[in-house]
Amino acid sequence: MRKLFILIMAAISLTGFAKTNEKKTTGTNQKHMLKSVNFDELKTIIHKNDNKLYVVNFWATWCKPCVEELPGFMEVNKNYSKDPRFKMVLVSLDLASEMDTKVKAFLLKNNIDVDVYILDDNKRMNEWIPAVDAKWTGAIPATILYRNGKRLEFKEGRLQKNELEQIINKHL
Amino acid sequence: MRKNRFYLSLIIILTMIGQINAKKMENTSEHKGYKIGDAATDFKLKNVDNKMVSLSDYKNAKGYIVIFTCNHCPYAKAYQDRIIALNNKYAAKGYPVIAINPNDPKLVPDDSFEAMQVRAKEKGFTFPYLFDDGQKIFPQYGATKTPHVYVLQKEKGKNIVRYIGAIDDNYANANDVSHKYVETAVDDLLAGKPIAQTTTLAIGCSIKAE
Repeated sequence: MRKLFILIMAAISLTGFAKTNEKKTTGTNQKHMLKSVNFDELKTIIHKNDNKLYVVNFWATWCKPCVEELPGFMEVNKNYSKDPRFKMVLVSLDLASEMDTKVKAFLLKNNIDVDVYILDDNKRMNEWIPAVDAKWTGAIPATILYRNGKRLEFKEGRLQKNELEQIINKHL
Repeated sequence: MRKNRFYLSLIIILTMIGQINAKKMENTSEHKGYKIGDAATDFKLKNVDNKMVSLSDYKNAKGYIVIFTCNHCPYAKAYQDRIIALNNKYAAKGYPVIAINPNDPKLVPDDSFEAMQVRAKEKGFTFPYLFDDGQKIFPQYGATKTPHVYVLQKEKGKNIVRYIGAIDDNYANANDVSHKYVETAVDDLLAGKPIAQTTTLAIGCSIKAE
């Protein structure tokens, strides 16, 4: 009976990233979110009034500079995530239809251990790009820092690990 | 003594004015490239057929649909057929498509000139697909991503920027487009009307240059 329980737990952990709203654990025993949202839903996630510093990175699996900067982001997250005032969120611009295939495989392969939301709101890009920041041309990667819904930093283009640490330290 | 003090104050005031102006310059330099109403530069770039192409070659054109695009970017790929359709619809009306690949092939091998030739042949591009050799033209326009469209209108020998932005509002699904931004803009120009929406934003692949 106990063996069966362990087997079931192992099977659940192997399925990796959660498909829907619920958080599930992966093989590395860390909690992740993988969910597709529209821009209004995304706002409620990254504009929380909880005094946390939100580091929000817009990226996609097909975006080379995005993929190249992610290991640095994960290192930074490892160092800062113990701080209850810090939270990193990735916003993917991959197709929502590829969430359970391409995106999920990428996250597992690259040990992405932060919440990932697929922004599935293609037809309103012309509304939400300027809403994120007036300076954003729509090129990715782009990184924004928020606290209590207030935008503190906006960076379009690739960030090195030390650059990211610098802008986080400025606001943490 | 009094005279010296006067000159000193004058110098201080002038320096302050200088600083204010310098600050203003910094602010405006954030938005590099063309704005609506600016005159766009012509260029002489190599087409996939090895011939050089300039805007001024098109003697009978009323304007141009200049599109910075490339081979590798999924957004650019998603729009390939729609770019062909734009040229097929508007070249005869005086607004041909001129596509330019702004990426440095050293950074993106898929966007090499040879790869451009292959793509143009495979897809049967009906418009020039030019290589921005040395990546010198796209920064003047201020393009940051692919695809990035500039609709130009010929006016008194100049090419005036009339629209900057996306092709339409749905890269993922051509059958579910509600706003054909470029078509609407060119239709307005052809009708002699002011363009209702002169700039739009969309996600794209950042242009890769050193």
